[in-house]
Amino acid sequence: MSSVQKQAIFRDVPGIVPKRPNLGQKIWKSRADYLYVAPAIVAMIVVIAYPIYYTIELSFFNTPASLSLADKQFNGIDNYVTILTSPVFWKVTWQTIVWTVLSTLFAFLLGLGAALALHREFVGRALLRGLLLIPWVISAVAASYVWKWLYHSDFGAIGAALVQLGITDRPINFIDNSTSALYSLIVVNVWKEFSFAMIMLMAGLQTVPDSLLRAAQVDGANPWQRFWHVTFPHLSGVSTVTILLLVVQNFNSFIIPFIMTGGGPVGSTQIWITHIYELAFLRQRWGVGAAYAVLLFIIMMTLGYFYVRALTRGDESRAGA
Amino acid sequence: MTNMQGRAQRPGSLTRRQAVAYAVAALTTTSLMSTTAFAQTVDLSQWSPDYVKSIAGTKQFDAAKDCGAVVPNDYAGKVSYWYTGPFEADPQIAHDQDKAFWEAFKAAYPNIQTDVQSITYNELLDKFRTALLGNAAPMVIRLQILGGVEFAAKGYLQPLAPEDVGYTAADFWPGALKSVTYEGTTYGLPTNNETMALIWNAKIFEDAGLDPENPPATWDDVVAYSKTIHDKLGIAGYGLVAKQNAGNTPFRFMPQLWAYGGGALDETSADPTYTTVEINNDGSKAALEAAYQMYVVDKSVPVSALTNTQAENQAPFIAGQLGMMIAHPAEYAKMVDLASKATGADKAVADDVVANMRYGLLPTGPDGKRAVVFGGSNIHVVKPEFVEGGQSDEQAVKALICFWNSPEWSTKLAWVGSNPGNINGFLTDAMKERLDTIKFLDVTTSMLPNGIPFPVIPEAPEIMNIIVPDMLQNALTENMTVDEATDDAATKIEAIIGGGGGL
Repeated sequence: MSSVQKQAIFRDVPGIVPKRPNLGQKIWKSRADYLYVAPAIVAMIVVIAYPIYYTIELSFFNTPASLSLADKQFNGIDNYVTILTSPVFWKVTWQTIVWTVLSTLFAFLLGLGAALALHREFVGRALLRGLLLIPWVISAVAASYVWKWLYHSDFGAIGAALVQLGITDRPINFIDNSTSALYSLIVVNVWKEFSFAMIMLMAGLQTVPDSLLRAAQVDGANPWQRFWHVTFPHLSGVSTVTILLLVVQNFNSFIIPFIMTGGGPVGSTQIWITHIYELAFLRQRWGVGAAYAVLLFIIMMTLGYFYVRALTRGDESRAGA
Repeated sequence: MTNMQGRAQRPGSLTRRQAVAYAVAALTTTSLMSTTAFAQTVDLSQWSPDYVKSIAGTKQFDAAKDCGAVVPNDYAGKVSYWYTGPFEADPQIAHDQDKAFWEAFKAAYPNIQTDVQSITYNELLDKFRTALLGNAAPMVIRLQILGGVEFAAKGYLQPLAPEDVGYTAADFWPGALKSVTYEGTTYGLPTNNETMALIWNAKIFEDAGLDPENPPATWDDVVAYSKTIHDKLGIAGYGLVAKQNAGNTPFRFMPQLWAYGGGALDETSADPTYTTVEINNDGSKAALEAAYQMYVVDKSVPVSALTNTQAENQAPFIAGQLGMMIAHPAEYAKMVDLASKATGADKAVADDVVANMRYGLLPTGPDGKRAVVFGGSNIHVVKPEFVEGGQSDEQAVKALICFWNSPEWSTKLAWVGSNPGNINGFLTDAMKERLDTIKFLDVTTSMLPNGIPFPVIPEAPEIMNIIVPDMLQNALTENMTVDEATDDAATKIEAIIGGGGGL
């Protein structure tokens, strides 16, 4: 007699509580499902789990340039102490926060504005939508080089235009200046990312019921009130997901700062990922680089948790109902 | 103990066969040590553009015959080899010479099988590191000039001296041999070497009232010339490069620092120990002060210097907006290529720049010291335990290295952008042909005796690519004074050579 049949019999006998299947039984029961996903799980273990494990292991070792990784020296939490007590880390952390917050904020706001504008019917809407998608579609490497020349402190197109228009006497020093370089790069990042926010929010706008907007209009609500009280609440879910994705993407940014300034001048555009890359691959400090990556991993996992929660919130509420 | 005939043998005594074998071996060794495969006849004390031209094409070499004295030509074996060979963007002649080499090697050693991989410059180091961790490395590898020290320090490379493959130390530039010597042991041979030179636009010099045919003699003159060009013509005088995390920066700044008597460590000395930090000595400070003068005080160099690599200097130079810069021998070919792609009014300007382009020696310091970074590549032998299959064929390895480093092939394989690592290559017909066809080659080769390799320690990439550019940027942005910037760099270098170092 199978366990399933037994449970069915016991369920019908008064006073006998059916025994709940243990984990092993559950797995055995769903063995076919596990077999189907096994190749994917094996691939994930090989390409994701093992590198994560090795990075965590490496973060507890000193890896001087004169020793091979096989001869690495265990040093406990020294790498973490080195990072967390270094003023350079805190400077880079502040720059990463500025980079992430400003990039996310302005990319979201620009994307929202563009989505609202493109939600209306007008001649050339499809063309404009296509044009606004260009920054998101083109390669970040190509965009970085183009912007580097646009910003160029001696021969940049932006500087030349400002001089031609009489706005400035000489080209503005955008990226060869430690005060303005980070903000100049944020502009490039916002330009590159706002299309993504626009697409997400345009999809969200499709879910706003026209009947509600018309009812609000009939009730005398002005455009701002209709947006704030009807449209925006309907966008809250997609906005949360968009912002979380932008935050994750911006924390992980590498190409734009690395190509345009290499982290300079004087480290003013160094952010976490570029700093980790420099430590590990340019300075061969694998141990410290690994510890730094673990710290970033913890932050990313925290953000990932909120992202999954935001994504599954609807499912949970439906399941509860 | 018994001999092969079963007779009793005294301990320590030799059989007749052993005695003959030892005698032959001793004679062969003596012969190799005394004559070597190639007798060196180049007089480095006379080195100058004229001397380079006068010796070219004066001697014939036969690589197959000469290397046959090191490894018999009928030797049967196998060798695996990784290097950065010619790729699509390289000129046809580089592809032709590479193909001709492998055909010639096959003809000289028909029974040696070759397993060759050409890997791009950017991928080679990482691929080699990965292969070493998996014991899947090739038997022989050619790496950029300082690429090998990391692997020598980590114990992956086999000691390899010139004598092991039929040469002597005198067949190579002393500076180049320094680059393969780690803690007193030689771990490779230089295959090709090049040094940079000063390039200037004679028309700009003339327009600024400077002597168009003579470059600035000293680095102080460079500062003065740059200011004159900027003040009179409103364009950048000197193409300063000071980007962070960029190898271009130390390649252009270290010659200036060395000329003033500075150094990162004691790499300029004849017998460096790499334990003395000199980045904050008076010479280093004077060099940084000169850069500060040009960037901050005179504003005679590009504002974009802090984010410029050498590639960003090419456009203003070909547009006639930059007076002088430090560049590779191949820069002339690059400018000709840029001019050929220009159109309209730009074309006339570009052609004019090419016609007025001049090459000269790098300037000296105040006391006449001239220095330049030694560039190029070295060939190394990997220890058998890290080679794929756990075995290395020593004779096949020696045959390949001897052949590659022969005067003839050392020259031909460096045709486009470098020079033979084997100094005897300068005597060959191939060198004469190069001098006849490559403009300014005589000038750029004449900087070779002034070549200094970066410190041959595994920490050198961090010192040169991170700490030196940081020091420059700290001073040029006035984030620190010159004294503070050099002292900060000294502290960082001391920390990393001591095995530590912050972020």
